[in-house]
Amino acid sequence: MKTDNKTIKIEQGSGGAQSAELIAALRNAYHLKNNWTNQNDDAAVYDLGDKKLVFTTDAFIVDPIFFPGGDIGKLAVCGTINDLSVMGAQPIGLSVSLVIEEGFSRTDLQKISESINKISQKTGIPIVTGDTKVIDKGKIDKIEITTSGVGLAHDIISNSGARPGDNIIASGDLGEHTAVILSKRFDYQTDLISDCQPLTTEIQSILPYLHACKDPTRGGMAANLNEIADKSKVKIVLSEKNLPYKKAVTSICNLLGLSIFDLASEGRFIAAVDPDKTDNILAQLKNAKIIGKVETGSGLYLKTSLDTLKEIRPSSGKLIPRIC
Amino acid sequence: MTLTAKQYIHNIEQTAADLGNISIMELCGTHSQTVAQNNLKSLLPKNIKLVSGPGCPICVTDQTEIDLVIELAKYDIPLAIYGDALSLPGSEASLEDLKQQGKHIFTVYSVADALTLQKDWPNIVLFGIGFETTAPMTAWAIQQGLNIFSSHKYFPPAMSALLASEKINIDGFIDPGHVSAIIGTQIFQQFKIPQVISGFEALDMLETIDILLKNIKNQNQTVVNQYKRAVNDQGNLKAQKLLKEVFENRDTNWRGLGMIPKSGMKIKAKYQKNDAEYIYRDLIEKFKKTYQPRPSACRCGKILQGLITPGDCPLFKKICTPENPQGACMVSVEGTCRITYENRQ
Repeated sequence: MKTDNKTIKIEQGSGGAQSAELIAALRNAYHLKNNWTNQNDDAAVYDLGDKKLVFTTDAFIVDPIFFPGGDIGKLAVCGTINDLSVMGAQPIGLSVSLVIEEGFSRTDLQKISESINKISQKTGIPIVTGDTKVIDKGKIDKIEITTSGVGLAHDIISNSGARPGDNIIASGDLGEHTAVILSKRFDYQTDLISDCQPLTTEIQSILPYLHACKDPTRGGMAANLNEIADKSKVKIVLSEKNLPYKKAVTSICNLLGLSIFDLASEGRFIAAVDPDKTDNILAQLKNAKIIGKVETGSGLYLKTSLDTLKEIRPSSGKLIPRIC
Repeated sequence: MTLTAKQYIHNIEQTAADLGNISIMELCGTHSQTVAQNNLKSLLPKNIKLVSGPGCPICVTDQTEIDLVIELAKYDIPLAIYGDALSLPGSEASLEDLKQQGKHIFTVYSVADALTLQKDWPNIVLFGIGFETTAPMTAWAIQQGLNIFSSHKYFPPAMSALLASEKINIDGFIDPGHVSAIIGTQIFQQFKIPQVISGFEALDMLETIDILLKNIKNQNQTVVNQYKRAVNDQGNLKAQKLLKEVFENRDTNWRGLGMIPKSGMKIKAKYQKNDAEYIYRDLIEKFKKTYQPRPSACRCGKILQGLITPGDCPLFKKICTPENPQGACMVSVEGTCRITYENRQ
């Protein structure tokens, strides 16, 4: 069996261990850094003296492009707003670039633009620049959107700040975005709607209590909490009885043979927080809950309902359903 | 009466104290997953060992069949494949490699997906893998006119083969819950060994192990159905009828277990116009004349018989990983090597 490194494989885009390897290889290709720092976090940081400029970008392709709770436009602006927000930044402006397949519906484009505008107005973050390309039919799947954004922060929340004793919180139930996309794709009837939403206000309201913070998009909790555990050199133990997943989400996963820990959310954050301030956080964010604890050690674990400890690793490979 | 986890564990410890070293084999890949996901092994007394059997259909698929399907793809025959099977390593490449080279290979989630694809690709072939659980859907799809390459297998003959093998030392079986929902409970009575048909929740499996140890201790070989909420004595008669209508048995090769008499599901002549083995018989004949399976250090075979654990294989974790699987047991999420790798047991 040959080991083929000559082509890019689909699992290198799934947010797991293989994505990390690809990203590391790409980063190694760029040598000039100037005054920018990027510790493999969600955004790069430029020190302005009294403040820090935070910059990020993200590309979006989703099938279907319209789904309960949102569409590709809302997803694209929320994605970039949230990557800035989890760094502790207040976003100040975004760019939106569209690559559109020839023959794409004008009405659909209008709907997507309206939902981008709606989020922009709701958050007070303007779309300040952009680009548009139209490409031959069949060269891309309907539409691709790239958003970039800049924000300002006083203090950066890195992913290396979790300390033993911290609580791990989730800002709400997780995985609903992936569950909605899967249920649309497989024509399952559910009442779920995508969790896609901007997080700036929620995060800013509890900013001083956050030691580490991520929005668990690609790779889900498994990839993102492993990253916090790795970078912070701590062990994270989740409690099975407090897991933030709705029954419908768990059922879809069971049906398709997927792990709930790999599911993406597009409007939630998970954070390591000050144990003494956790009550303030829970009072502030009504859907948040404590899902685990930070301990000394390494890795991400689940304390099961049988009181056994099971390690949760970042998914390797792509999300594929099993056959029985 | 359902007990709590603690009570089951207490019972298990009590019974185990009266027993020597005991090996229990789970016969369904989903059971192996439940064991791993709940780290059940850490709860069991040291003298009680759980070993995974040949219950993952992807894992027991013979190398020749994989290479044969890959050969079909090389001839530009469009293929519909269950996701798990995509990265099965062939002798030279996997179906995934061929997909990346532009061959028409589609991942499907059900026969319904394959039938939808058939509208654009009329000669598409579904690579039918699985036991009595997935085979009825394939049987139905053949009746709708879908072309099938059948690698489907009957499960009970594998249990006979395991019991007949002198190398294998198993004290009890955890019978496959899903397969039993189709074939019922009576068929298991032929096997002279303590066995329990089990559900898939952690608590189901603890209850199963509790019952099984008691029956091992008392040398009681009745078949116990712990999974009554899904399994009845007759099984699913409609599915059984479909299987009988479309398939007949033939001797077939299982990875790890070798040739097992009457264990393969061959498409009956009545449906041969949709049987890929019949349609492409010339191509297959030509392939078999020169075919030699690739020799490999992979120990899947012994692992599937419960003779060794993944850690005993020289390739495990070194060059055999989920990203670069050398054997089928590392491909499927139900495979013993994959489960062991993911759970660092």
